[in-house]
Amino acid sequence: MTAPEPPARPVLVCGEVRTGLLPSLHALDVRAATQLLRLRSDDHVLVSERPVPRVLSPEILTGVDCPLPAAGGARNRAVGTVAARAALTSGRVLQTTAYVSLPATGPDARRPWGQYLVRPGLAEPFGRLPVRAVAEGVLRGARRGELDLGIIAENLSARLVRHPLLDHRTPFKSRRTRMRWVARRVPEGDKAALERFTLAEDGLRTVELRLPDGVAAAAAAGMCEDLALHDWLLTTLAHMLDDSRLAAADGPAAVLALRPAVDHLLHLWMPRAHVDRSLTAVWDALEEAPGFTRQWQTQVQRIRDQLALQAIPLLHRALSPS
Amino acid sequence: MLIFAASDKGGTGRSVTGANLAYRRALAGDHVCYLDFDFGSPTAAAVFDVLDARAAAEDRGLHAYLAGEAGEPARIDVWARTEHPVLRDLPPGTGRLELFPGDLSGGEFAATGENLHRCVDLLLRLDGEYDLILVDLSAGRSYAVDMVLAATARPEMRAVVSRWLVFHRWTRQHVTAAAHLAFGPRGIVAGGVARGHDEDALRAGVRFVRSGVPDLESPLWSQVTPTQSAWMRRTDEDLRQLASVLGAGHRTVLGTVPLDPVLQWREQLITDEDVVVSQIANRETWEALGELAHRLTDDKCWEQA
Ligand SMILES: Nc1ncnc2c1ncn2[C@@H]1O[C@H](COP(=O)(O)OP(=O)(O)OP(=O)(O)O)[C@@H](O)[C@H]1O
Ligand SMILES: [Mg+2]
Repeated sequence: MTAPEPPARPVLVCGEVRTGLLPSLHALDVRAATQLLRLRSDDHVLVSERPVPRVLSPEILTGVDCPLPAAGGARNRAVGTVAARAALTSGRVLQTTAYVSLPATGPDARRPWGQYLVRPGLAEPFGRLPVRAVAEGVLRGARRGELDLGIIAENLSARLVRHPLLDHRTPFKSRRTRMRWVARRVPEGDKAALERFTLAEDGLRTVELRLPDGVAAAAAAGMCEDLALHDWLLTTLAHMLDDSRLAAADGPAAVLALRPAVDHLLHLWMPRAHVDRSLTAVWDALEEAPGFTRQWQTQVQRIRDQLALQAIPLLHRALSPS
Repeated sequence: MLIFAASDKGGTGRSVTGANLAYRRALAGDHVCYLDFDFGSPTAAAVFDVLDARAAAEDRGLHAYLAGEAGEPARIDVWARTEHPVLRDLPPGTGRLELFPGDLSGGEFAATGENLHRCVDLLLRLDGEYDLILVDLSAGRSYAVDMVLAATARPEMRAVVSRWLVFHRWTRQHVTAAAHLAFGPRGIVAGGVARGHDEDALRAGVRFVRSGVPDLESPLWSQVTPTQSAWMRRTDEDLRQLASVLGAGHRTVLGTVPLDPVLQWREQLITDEDVVVSQIANRETWEALGELAHRLTDDKCWEQA
């Protein structure tokens, strides 16, 4: 018996991340977080304590055999497995990601499943992969029956959220975001780069990356999780500021609206902290435009100003002889 | 908080009143969403004037989501997408108002297994996002009713407050049917208990809404003959008696929406413009809807009836 033909080199990695507040009154400590994210008994949960605690689950696989989303209806079908994982930052922000690597070509017939299972997170096309069309299709979103990374990420998120550790008493109302990303492989030695980052309506973001051969797909997933986390923080803080401005006529209400930001969010801003070294440069582009950290600092300052302003009448009352 | 809008019969004002309540809460500053669980005959997109946005969402409605065919149900930002001129002009302090449309093609499906899981996931997730979630259920003991009864009985949903509004018109048959839907042997409370709800807790969260009730003091009826007037008053009193006997009496009523000329002719939101500027709608209707919207979360109105 001859050894099976190995799959061709991946040319595209696609993924989707969901980011949202963990539905729990209190942040989970590292022990509880580890328990929550133990998706498999045969693999470890990774814990990094610094600078912000982040707990990362082992990956689980979903077998797929279906058409890939593709712009212009390019015909294609892929078989293999999609990897999914979850991360919890500071016991507060839950993210789930589903991602898959796609080689340029694949055999015209299905292999035995065993051969797919030894290459987790890889799905082979039948014949040639229409790279551009699939990249566009993934960013646009899957139609019915097509490979839908969003559903896989969603299912994982739902499974975690049903865990009995969570009490579903969220300290404040917030929205989840979804980020779809595609990373085109470039030769080893080329620079990793962020080519596009867009905000669409309905909490949807899309990202296009260049990813040098030799950098693991998991590193790209981690990079996108970091980006999604910080984008979510910015978005959530902006909404809180909006809500507090609405309540601003009424001092205590404004404080109530902003207090959760101080309690739960302000200390989470730590871009690049958990990103693979080979990809930290990608962040630099974001710092230039749209200037992520600058935006964050402006918002944080506004929150601090608001809270300080609200405190003045209280001080006044405390100091004035009654 | 979850508010389920139910009714035994069709045409009770459930959807139109529900949409107006969502609108009024958002105007008051809450983040509100409206879920159209009336699969097969969704109407909310028309009431909110977002038909184009609805068409663009095609087959990604709630039904497709619950059936596992869409990863994320479509949501429509009413303020941004409405074609209603007054709704685009918002006072400061307005909260979000979003519609999760139903699907035109949605048939019946099982309220168990994965479908039920997805329903729980969705309700939990929306509870983390919105102050108020208003769910329009299809008429009768539909599978939509079964699904949310099963969903809210799940232990994960323990911390989420849910309340039920049973809508009915002000006639003998409507009063009787509504009382049966709430408390009858095949009703909401019985169905909930069969799914693991605590009877007293569930019962305490059910209130009636009388809609399209003629206000006999209004000028609308001032031209009737004395005999007609006497008859109407007697009938009104009889209905009150009947409702009371059936357990749908005034202590279980959250509010009454008067018969309104505008709503009689058109399914729409009543804006203050309709009342103050063009004066086509009755002020009493505007006030009744505002009061009802307020009571949704006023715990005093939800103490043991
Ligand atoms: N207070 C009111 N006064 C007059 N007409 C009303 C009032 N409330 C609702 N209506 C009208 O009654 C009709 C039925 O209302 P609606 O569609 O809200 O009922 P429904 O219970 O949702 O019906 P279905 O079961 O068909 O979904 C509509 O034409 C609506 O405009
Ligand atoms: Mg209706």
